[in-house]
Amino acid sequence: MTTASSTMLAIKATGLAKTYSGEGAPVTVFSGLSFELEEGVFAAVMGPSGVGKSTLLHLVGGIDRPQEGRVEVFGAALEDMSARDRARFRNDNIGFVFQFHHLLPEFTAEENVSFPDRIAGIPEREARRRAAQLLERIGMGSRRDHGARALSGGEQQRVAIARALARGPRLLLADEPTGNLDAAAAQSVFDLLRDLHRERSMTTVIVTHNPDLAARCDRLFVMSREGISPSVGLPERG
Amino acid sequence: MRFETFVALRYLVTSRRRAHVALIAAISVVGLAVGVAALIISLALLSGFQDRIRKQMMERSAHLRVSPARGARLLDPSRVRGALATLPGVIELAPSIEGRAWASDAGGVQAPAPVHYRNGARQVAEASARITSPLAARLRIQEGEAIRLTSARTRLSPIGPIPMTAALTVSEVRRSSALDKPGEVEVSEETARLLSGVGEGAGAFEARLANPLEAAAAARAVERTLGPDYAVATWRELNAPLAFALRLEKTVIFLTVALVILVAALNIVSNIALTVVEKKRDLGVFTSLGASPASLQRIYLTLGAVIGLLGTSAGVLLGVGLSLALERFRLVPLPADVYMLSHVPFAVHPGEVAAIAAFALLTALAAAVLPARAAARLAPGEAIRLSR
Repeated sequence: MTTASSTMLAIKATGLAKTYSGEGAPVTVFSGLSFELEEGVFAAVMGPSGVGKSTLLHLVGGIDRPQEGRVEVFGAALEDMSARDRARFRNDNIGFVFQFHHLLPEFTAEENVSFPDRIAGIPEREARRRAAQLLERIGMGSRRDHGARALSGGEQQRVAIARALARGPRLLLADEPTGNLDAAAAQSVFDLLRDLHRERSMTTVIVTHNPDLAARCDRLFVMSREGISPSVGLPERG
Repeated sequence: MRFETFVALRYLVTSRRRAHVALIAAISVVGLAVGVAALIISLALLSGFQDRIRKQMMERSAHLRVSPARGARLLDPSRVRGALATLPGVIELAPSIEGRAWASDAGGVQAPAPVHYRNGARQVAEASARITSPLAARLRIQEGEAIRLTSARTRLSPIGPIPMTAALTVSEVRRSSALDKPGEVEVSEETARLLSGVGEGAGAFEARLANPLEAAAAARAVERTLGPDYAVATWRELNAPLAFALRLEKTVIFLTVALVILVAALNIVSNIALTVVEKKRDLGVFTSLGASPASLQRIYLTLGAVIGLLGTSAGVLLGVGLSLALERFRLVPLPADVYMLSHVPFAVHPGEVAAIAAFALLTALAAAVLPARAAARLAPGEAIRLSR
């Protein structure tokens, strides 16, 4: 667990416990997990599969709820919010990027990117204009009318990043954003994330298995069955 | 366009790519359309017949009938006559005198038949009678021939009391309808008074109006004028049992045929439930983008509403179009010598069509509620985690 500095905390998670009740016996992913991150940091989280890295991001992003514990994002306790307020908070403050991009195949790149604004109630024309601008910024302007299936893996992930940034979030949570890409595409997507982080003064948390990319982050956390802690050295290559 | 409507419409349009969902969506729309059309045509058929019966009611019944609130005779017949005569829109007015008699042909060849004679607002010429076709058939008489009515009332003669009789000419033989009591004979006021022995006054007064649809207002005006000693009934109230039977018939048909719409609604449930399962990952993604559970619910309610709107619109067009064509081109003929009509009548009432459309739309919307709620309850994190 990191200690909070004088700067404001972007994430403060305390005593988190999460158990999934699947088809078989319930699976406890972690319990008593605590995690803090200062605002403005570009952090990486590494760790073996199954220790709950994605689950941690989901809990911090408020799309899943812990059985125990408390999550505060920029000082706001997610547990104290109604489902509607939590959705509004997520829309305004948090962006998600997933490993499998999760673009919606029935919609074009521009429509996908315009969704966060449209959910916020921004009129369609304005939301599309802003989406087009964002796609231009990430070098996808020429592909804005293409459906998700017509894009390459790297392009899909770029569009997914644009979608996550549509509302100008203060916190970006990226769950293995390069995990499904070849080395060149992974490098390119990571560079884009790094640039956007600087441009927008966001707090960014990336879950990754790539130690090279993790080494380029401001802060590295290692997650295991015992919990999550800051790494004391460069991560091992694997 | 709202976010939810935009997504729902896209899901519906692009479902063509997923053959099984598209098929169920098409079945839902077609099923609803068939149900709505069947309901419209069924009610148009009933309305066609019922409109004619209602028209007969207006033609044959008195539009207003004033009778004493207690007792068999009007206390002040001239006051009643005056109140009705000064009423705007009254075109015919007469005392109502009625009773029972035996009817026979002039020669007394056929066995006499028990009849109910009456006069009323619908005038009959002196010494003539208007009879129904079954009575004419039984007595084997036709228009222009003589009929003899013998009442139970007697008069003294040199050979003792003999029953009162009236020899009349049949002025009209009309087809019997649901409105007729068995063996009803309409006679003039003079004949009715002769047979009943009511020389003055009457048991009731009947009036006919230029516009029978204004009978209720006219009845209220007469009630205000005459006070509580008199009971005023409109043609609707006089035919209340039949009107009730007609309403009941329509209600039963509506409920029965509406089952088709309910079956179509089950298709809508399965279509939307299938879409919810298929789009589980999308629900997780929308949640991660900030959509609230209520917003997710609205996507599927909108989907139900759109399917409902498509099915209902198609059904209304089909049902109204077919009903109008069946009436306009008389596509279902009837033997005119058996029935009173040459074809099966269809009448489309806009109010009924609107009620059917509203029912179908509400049913479609209600069908979407359950799967939509399930969508709102979905755990988004799990949906994303499991959709890798």
